[in-house]
Amino acid sequence: MEKNVPQLTVSGFIATLNQTLEYAYPSVEVEGEVASFKVNQDKYVFFDIKDAGGSVNCFMTVWQLRVPIEDGMKVIVTATPKLTPWGKFSLTVRAVRPSGEGSLKKSFELLRAKLDKEGLFAVERKRPLPPLPHRIAVISSVQAAGYADFIKILDDRWGGLDIEVASVQVQGAAAPDQMIQALKHFNAGEILPEVIVIIRGGGSADDLSAFNDELLVREIAASRVPTLVGVGHEVDVSLADMVADVRAATPSNAAQILVPDRQEVIRGVRRQVNALLPRIEQVIDAGRQNIQYQLADVLRAIERQHDRNSNQLAGVRRVLAELDPRKVLQRGYAIIRGEVAAGQQIEIEKSDIVITAEVVDVRQK
Amino acid sequence: MSDKSNSSIAEKTIQLNELVSWFDGDEFELEKAIDKFAEAEKLAAEIEADLLAMKNNITVLKKKFNEAE
Repeated sequence: MEKNVPQLTVSGFIATLNQTLEYAYPSVEVEGEVASFKVNQDKYVFFDIKDAGGSVNCFMTVWQLRVPIEDGMKVIVTATPKLTPWGKFSLTVRAVRPSGEGSLKKSFELLRAKLDKEGLFAVERKRPLPPLPHRIAVISSVQAAGYADFIKILDDRWGGLDIEVASVQVQGAAAPDQMIQALKHFNAGEILPEVIVIIRGGGSADDLSAFNDELLVREIAASRVPTLVGVGHEVDVSLADMVADVRAATPSNAAQILVPDRQEVIRGVRRQVNALLPRIEQVIDAGRQNIQYQLADVLRAIERQHDRNSNQLAGVRRVLAELDPRKVLQRGYAIIRGEVAAGQQIEIEKSDIVITAEVVDVRQK
Repeated sequence: MSDKSNSSIAEKTIQLNELVSWFDGDEFELEKAIDKFAEAEKLAAEIEADLLAMKNNITVLKKKFNEAE
């Protein structure tokens, strides 16, 4: 027997080896392709993770599996290496996340189909946001550019808001659980916020994958408070976006959706007041026009009366003209003045001459 | 406090809308219009000043949101 070589029982050897492994690799991330994926009794998940040079068994519980995986997908597992009492080496997995664009997309599609089937994205579930919320809860990282954009635009657009911010990780393995805890916190308060806003700026598909976590998506769906989610850029769509009551294209857009722009409100108020002067002028113009119409009516009435009077006067004139004695004289008649008796002198007036004559005789016709 | 300033703006906005409606309503009288217009101008100026003065109150929670909680 060699000196200084430990002698161990099988159980002791396994325990020692596990202690050594735990000391050397308390946590390890291993990247590889999933193979032989299966779930037993709806509780336990078994699969292999492999690459061209080897393969390792993996074990985890169903509740730890936050994203759907299937054979052929490339993943990164966070795990502790362990030798089982039966001498089988495996990784006890705490978390799995898809790796690479293809796997992320595949995982996204699988979970989307699953949650869609449950109706989590149904339009009927969507609640409207309050038109002008005063108490706003924000879940984001205060270090993130997206958060700074959101606050800047919110401050520019409106004021008087009470904003509570839960600063959490918005990428990485811890992000989903931190966001879940923040959601639980805001939903448990005595005075609820009127809206919960979850925001994060742009990033790679891997950076944004926290927002495709199944438990986070379910927590957003279960929120008592209406939710507004703005993650990444306009082209980025996450499951958190899809399950939210309202989706914002970006954090800046979330601020725009949340509150009106005070400058626009001011312009609207000015427009309202400025529109009153033309209204007054319109009424004055209408009054002036009315007076002009009335004056015109009076003038027309006067003219009509004047015409009637003129016509009457002309008639009288015509009658008077017919009765003028001079016209009778012109027709050859004469006016005789004086006593018409024999021997008396009389005056005979014709149209153009006056004759003085003596009456020679007067007799009855 | 923020609720108060917002509600003050909301109340003033309602008052302004009522004044504007008066100008379009049957109760409109030219003799009263100038006073009403001056009142609307004053309200608009107050709303503008209130809107520009409003600041947001942002509180970053000290609570840590860890999984182990």
